[in-house]
Amino acid sequence: MSGQHLDPELNDVLQDPELLRLAGMLSQAQTPAPPLDDAFKSALRRQLMDVAWRSAEGRDSWWRLWLSPPRLSWVGAAAVVVLIASVVIYTAALPPGGFNEVIIQSPQQDQSAVALRQPILVSFNQPMDHPSTEKAVQITPSTSVTFAWNGDAQMYIQPVSGDLAPNTQYKVTIGPGALTKSQQPLSTPTTITFVTTQSTPAPPQVSPTPRVITSLLTNQQQLATIPSAASSSPLWSPDSTTVYYVGPGGAFVSVPAKGGSPATLVAAGVSLPAIDPAGGKLAYVSAGKIEILSLTAKTSDEITPASAPTTLQWVGETLYFGTNDGVYSSGDTVVRRATIQSDQAVSVISISPDGLTAVYQSPSSLFLLDIAGGGNTQLGGSGAAGTFQGWSPNGQRVVYGNVIADLHGKTVYKLPDGDVTWSAQNVILLGSDTGVFSIRPDGTDLTKLADGTFHAPAWAPDSSTFVYVRGNTLWAATAPPAKQLPSPTVQASVVVIAFMRARQDDEPDKARGYLDDSGHAAYGSGNPALIPNGDLQFKRFYILVAEVDPSSTNTVRVVVRMVFGKNKQERAAVEETLIVQRALATDPFLIDGVSASAQRDLGKGPEVVSVKVTDTEVVVTFDSDLLPNSVGGVILQDSTGAAVQVTPVYSDRNVTFSGLQLTAGVHYRLVVQPSVQDVGNRHPDAEYDLDLVGPAPEPTSGGSLPPPAPSPSPAPASSPVPSPTPT
Amino acid sequence: MSDPGRGEERELVERAKRDPREFGALYDRHFQQIYRFVYSRVREQTAAEDVTSEVFIKALKAMPRYQDTGRPFAAWLYQIAVNAIADRYRSLRPSQPLDDFHDLSVSGPAIDEQAAQRDEIRRIWAIVEELPVQQRMALVLKFQEDMKIEDIAVAMGKTAGAVKLLIHRGVTRLRDEAGALRPVE
Repeated sequence: MSGQHLDPELNDVLQDPELLRLAGMLSQAQTPAPPLDDAFKSALRRQLMDVAWRSAEGRDSWWRLWLSPPRLSWVGAAAVVVLIASVVIYTAALPPGGFNEVIIQSPQQDQSAVALRQPILVSFNQPMDHPSTEKAVQITPSTSVTFAWNGDAQMYIQPVSGDLAPNTQYKVTIGPGALTKSQQPLSTPTTITFVTTQSTPAPPQVSPTPRVITSLLTNQQQLATIPSAASSSPLWSPDSTTVYYVGPGGAFVSVPAKGGSPATLVAAGVSLPAIDPAGGKLAYVSAGKIEILSLTAKTSDEITPASAPTTLQWVGETLYFGTNDGVYSSGDTVVRRATIQSDQAVSVISISPDGLTAVYQSPSSLFLLDIAGGGNTQLGGSGAAGTFQGWSPNGQRVVYGNVIADLHGKTVYKLPDGDVTWSAQNVILLGSDTGVFSIRPDGTDLTKLADGTFHAPAWAPDSSTFVYVRGNTLWAATAPPAKQLPSPTVQASVVVIAFMRARQDDEPDKARGYLDDSGHAAYGSGNPALIPNGDLQFKRFYILVAEVDPSSTNTVRVVVRMVFGKNKQERAAVEETLIVQRALATDPFLIDGVSASAQRDLGKGPEVVSVKVTDTEVVVTFDSDLLPNSVGGVILQDSTGAAVQVTPVYSDRNVTFSGLQLTAGVHYRLVVQPSVQDVGNRHPDAEYDLDLVGPAPEPTSGGSLPPPAPSPSPAPASSPVPSPTPT
Repeated sequence: MSDPGRGEERELVERAKRDPREFGALYDRHFQQIYRFVYSRVREQTAAEDVTSEVFIKALKAMPRYQDTGRPFAAWLYQIAVNAIADRYRSLRPSQPLDDFHDLSVSGPAIDEQAAQRDEIRRIWAIVEELPVQQRMALVLKFQEDMKIEDIAVAMGKTAGAVKLLIHRGVTRLRDEAGALRPVE
């Protein structure tokens, strides 16, 4: 190679033959064309033109300023006014944008939850030539379409396969090849961008704003007059027909729940009454002794405890009672069940319905006592004394200070304020001076039932009627039937949606509220990041698949696809597989674990946008129309990696595996090979895998399909629940 | 840099200075080379798109202040690009392997010599990437973008003499660090 470089500038600079030889070699390197997204190029041009137009308008205002009357004589000003008026009249007669510029609009432009069953509407500000305009249309993802026109200025683009694909960003570009009727080409291509909604019905609202026009209660009636400071809540008979209360002077009175005359069962001196689950026995404390009345046989018995009883509770046929030193049971003999070890003055104030746990309090604090094991746990902090509100029907949860806690004292959910009663059907009433609400223990389904004063509500065992205190009157009312619970996948998905929205809204504290301890640890590692903070913006998310763990209806596996991009361009996706768990069916679901896929570039070919799994069928929905002869590249593998021997059927972007016999709990894998091809002849860059689990039947009806979440969409404003409970 | 359409470009620039809506023509004319240059520095499509957007938006907004000094309009765009890349990647180095970028189809020598020469060119460019940032940028603009020294001076905000010095030092350092390289005979 010659030491003389072709560029004379370099001969002057370098001079040395070896340096020139190196320079020659550097010059020989030919840079390959970098990867370039044409949509980016046209989007940037459009953005520049927007800026330019705004800038130009600013300049116009300078001219207006210059031409204002103070600058010219009034005669000149009048002439300008006449001139402007002429222009206005002329331009008003023109279509928007004038005849020199083709303006393209669509009602779907920039929409984030476009319904699937509709054509894409494109409007022009002037008559268009149909063939060239149709030919100039480019759609991403690749979609076979037909065109229809309403006159010459409205074009409808209809996917051949019917609906638009769900969870998909569409980019419809009208290229410069489109001509007006007068054969004028577009000056720049125009792209209409929008995102479609999910394919399944929207999930139930997370927390409907409590709003009531009229009372939802029925059969409201006064039952009896009671002392203004009743010493205990009213009691129900097990058959929900009779209400008992302690009347004036400690009289024990019964009244029919549907109204009627009160009847005095014990004349005076009754406190801490308790009725056995069979409804045949009444226990109460009188003069420091426990009296047990048989309501049917009309006989009585008496127990004289060493210490004064402070609470009574029937557990089956056995009467438990608490004192200031422990818990006892009374059968043939009195048995000491648990002893409280405390150097403070304490007393047992309640025993759980299953007889396994008690609550006792010191002058300042509240404690759980494990009756069988003897251990104790503080509930809340100092000052919690006096805040105990009751038990869940199964005795696994305790409510104090409007906090639902487990038997380790850990907060499960924080209820809104109000007096609490928890029904056998797991609906909680919250009564207050101003109204009564119903709510699920997991914070869902908050509903205002009525305005008014509703103190000390108490559910009947049948979970339909309740009594409450208003002033010095005992009232009864019938609540509307509880809504059917959504399926666990829907419940878990609602939590996942709220969690993802908090992440999207850059609210890390709120997002952490949806994590349990393991979830905290998983996201605490930073991989995946709780708040994505890469160069690309977290644009939207949707649930790809949600499945109940066959081993437990309280564990749901949810695969969420997170889409990242810049401006209107969606460029990459990450899938997080979330394990969403709850300890009991009445607890809120929390996110317990996560695994994240590697980031994938979007726009490289057909994408899976929805997967529906039953034990007999797997339906895989793509965003693009596929070449039918390429769908053999969509494979369902069993846990050994062997292909499930079912030939998929392709129709309308869906690849369906039918006649399956998926085994509950067994792992399967959906594989989309690069050989899959869309009608635009594009292939995925690499194999796409999605792990699935053979599904178990849903334990409750209410929609077995997961509710994919469109985003962004406005979160319910200022809902009192369910705010995540800190764990 | 050869630019046979200087007269036409001046006209486009003047029109864009008068009316920013005319900037589209300049964009169409220079997008490809600026994007390619930016990509060659950041080697990641998303980042290249971001920086390229920044370059053209800044250019559009600064058009009223643009003064024709006789150098090509592209030199000014390169100047904005060089600054944008420096701002964005002040503490970062591109992570993409060099091979993805300078894979260098070589013309001239017989087929059996091409592989060896390709390796040699690749090694030299790898050393370029390790040079101090100013030397590296000067070499890239000179040898990759094929710019004139005066134009590089505009792009880098330096004098022509300073650019010559950077190129000389850069190539000299290449020679020193690639001491084992010998001409392909």
